[in-house]
Amino acid sequence: MAFQNRNKFCYFKENGIHDIDYKDVKLLRRFINDQGKIMPRRITGTSAKMHRKLVKAIKRSRSIALLPYVERGVE
Amino acid sequence: MRFYETIYIVDPNLENLVLEKVMTEIGQELEKTGSKLINHRAWGKKRLAYQIDKQKYGTYILMQFEEGDQEKMVGFSTWMKLNNSVIRHMTVTLDSKPEVHVEETKKTESAKPEVKEKEPEAHVEETKKTESAKPEVKEQKSGSEIASSDSSNKKKEEGVLKDKNKVNEKKDQKTDKVMLEGVE
Repeated sequence: MAFQNRNKFCYFKENGIHDIDYKDVKLLRRFINDQGKIMPRRITGTSAKMHRKLVKAIKRSRSIALLPYVERGVE
Repeated sequence: MRFYETIYIVDPNLENLVLEKVMTEIGQELEKTGSKLINHRAWGKKRLAYQIDKQKYGTYILMQFEEGDQEKMVGFSTWMKLNNSVIRHMTVTLDSKPEVHVEETKKTESAKPEVKEKEPEAHVEETKKTESAKPEVKEQKSGSEIASSDSSNKKKEEGVLKDKNKVNEKKDQKTDKVMLEGVE
């Protein structure tokens, strides 16, 4: 629901985060769908640079089972 | 020189001694490649996001090191894959020296007791303040209470008087009515 504000802003720029750690699951969970999909930049409002880093981190954490590839299939 | 981080998952049902043995074994295998170990610590038992080898939980172990022979590193990763006690592993390049992590952990450990020592003092001060502050408040309260009680008593008295007056008036009306009836 936090992403539905009219004024979109980059979460990472706002909080001064430059590097995203793949072990920080709590942070990465913010940018993941119910199904475990990565949310589009159009909705989250992250900058292009940070979105690239974010995607990398999420994929890394998926590969060592910190985040799911698929969570809760479509009913 | 480059710095790397290897994270690997081990069977969660292993005992501490066995876990230490596995860790030392892996550390020795890594040092064969000529790389220097900086950190090697257990991150903790966590629930896996999906089952791996029919396991729901796993103990994550972090290993940070300085680069050795790159050709030998390929051999190390294949050795890790063949190792039965390791469920899954992944190596990642680091942007900067990972020494900071060790210092942070030490700092947090040393910082905790200091904070604990400080806390009671602060409490004492606070309690003193509260103790010194309480009587004043009480005095003020008592003064105000008296005032309020006085005012409330006055109000009550006034109310009682009004009630009495009302009752008297009603009685008078009733007596008048009775008198009128009697006359009729």
